[in-house]
Amino acid sequence: MSDMRPEYEELSTQRLVAVPDPQRRVDADELLGRVARGDERAFAELYDVVSARVYGLIRRVLRDPAQSEEVAQEVMVEIWRTAARFDGTRGSATAWIFTIAHRRAVDRVRSEQAGADRVRRVAASSAETPYDDVVETATARIEQQQVRRCLDGLTDLQREAITLAYYGGNSYREVADLLGTALPTVKTRMRDGLIRMRDCLGVGF
Amino acid sequence: MPETVDIHALAGAYALDAVDDLERAAFDRHLRDCTSCAEEVAELRETAAWLTHTVAEAPPPRLREAVLAGIASTPQDRNRRGTAGQGRSGRDRLRRWGLSAVAAAVLAAGAGVGTWVVADQRLDDVRTQNARVDAVLAASDARLISQDMGGGHVTLVVSPSRNAAVALLDGLTPPGDDKSYQLWMIKSGAAESVGVTNSGSGRFYVSSLGKAFGITAEPRGGSKTPTLPALVGPQINL
Repeated sequence: MSDMRPEYEELSTQRLVAVPDPQRRVDADELLGRVARGDERAFAELYDVVSARVYGLIRRVLRDPAQSEEVAQEVMVEIWRTAARFDGTRGSATAWIFTIAHRRAVDRVRSEQAGADRVRRVAASSAETPYDDVVETATARIEQQQVRRCLDGLTDLQREAITLAYYGGNSYREVADLLGTALPTVKTRMRDGLIRMRDCLGVGF
Repeated sequence: MPETVDIHALAGAYALDAVDDLERAAFDRHLRDCTSCAEEVAELRETAAWLTHTVAEAPPPRLREAVLAGIASTPQDRNRRGTAGQGRSGRDRLRRWGLSAVAAAVLAAGAGVGTWVVADQRLDDVRTQNARVDAVLAASDARLISQDMGGGHVTLVVSPSRNAAVALLDGLTPPGDDKSYQLWMIKSGAAESVGVTNSGSGRFYVSSLGKAFGITAEPRGGSKTPTLPALVGPQINL
């Protein structure tokens, strides 16, 4: 449902491991630009491109399906409402969208959970989706492999710091508590781990 | 010892939304003056966005219908462009930055970030406080200091050029029914009360800096002089 476009050119090239999907970037950026001008059809297309990752991310952080659905709906409507604020010179449309989605999920989890139930959030931080409805298109599989390979290239502490924060919705202070590691170390590992991921993925914009 | 933070070191945590509201606001403002930092954060956010690939999950079809119905009745904002992800409405900002110079005019409804509420305070006061807080956070010499305390954390953003600071109490064990936390600025040997709170979380605008900052547990409502030993500390030197 989320990404039906075939991308055979990418599948056939050896360089795809380090090249981040320029075609989709253009599509999502262009769609969001049209959404900013009030184009509802473009919004429906954009929804189909990003909704599985928006919903999956929110569900990973919040876990509860009903709550995840509610937040995903709020996020998608917010994207519609604020699309004119997107600035393509500062990043990709997808990064803008997932930044909003992640922020809203984290806002929700922190306001409701108040730091309790940390065990649950540790469990939620794994990089794998345990649910049945994992998106399985060829492109999605390749990107998933890339992310896993690059995560595997991190040190344990870098990887845990990043996944506990991003998938678990934990603050760096909570991550430091969970890992029994000093605050400055956790901040540093988050930054240098992301930089290593960036270089591994060949991220640019 | 208090930890003095180089704000650049927060770039990774910021890109992962692993900072609290105060740190995020300080970093947002820092990004306006630091082009290389803004570029780094943008790249780290692009990188974080890749992490969504492994958790993609098809939402129920009804979500699509609900969203499309939702946008059909939602007018679009025509605001100028801002930093990626800064999609807060003005009302949200007011709620987030509702402050008080003293006492517990601002209390946390819960212990979590994002639950600040303004109690018994007129809107104009809130606006004035917001502007003052923004000025501290935007100051080029703003410095972040944080320290663990009483089961939570105390964070200070200090700006010598504005002669002001913002103090954030986050997740401290509540002081108890007959006690309050009291914030102090130490000036030439005397302690000046900066604020009193009955909650373990709250925000305070500190309108004038001294040599050091401290927090004590006091009888409910606060005291004229600090009861030692101080909880922070003995104190955070500015």
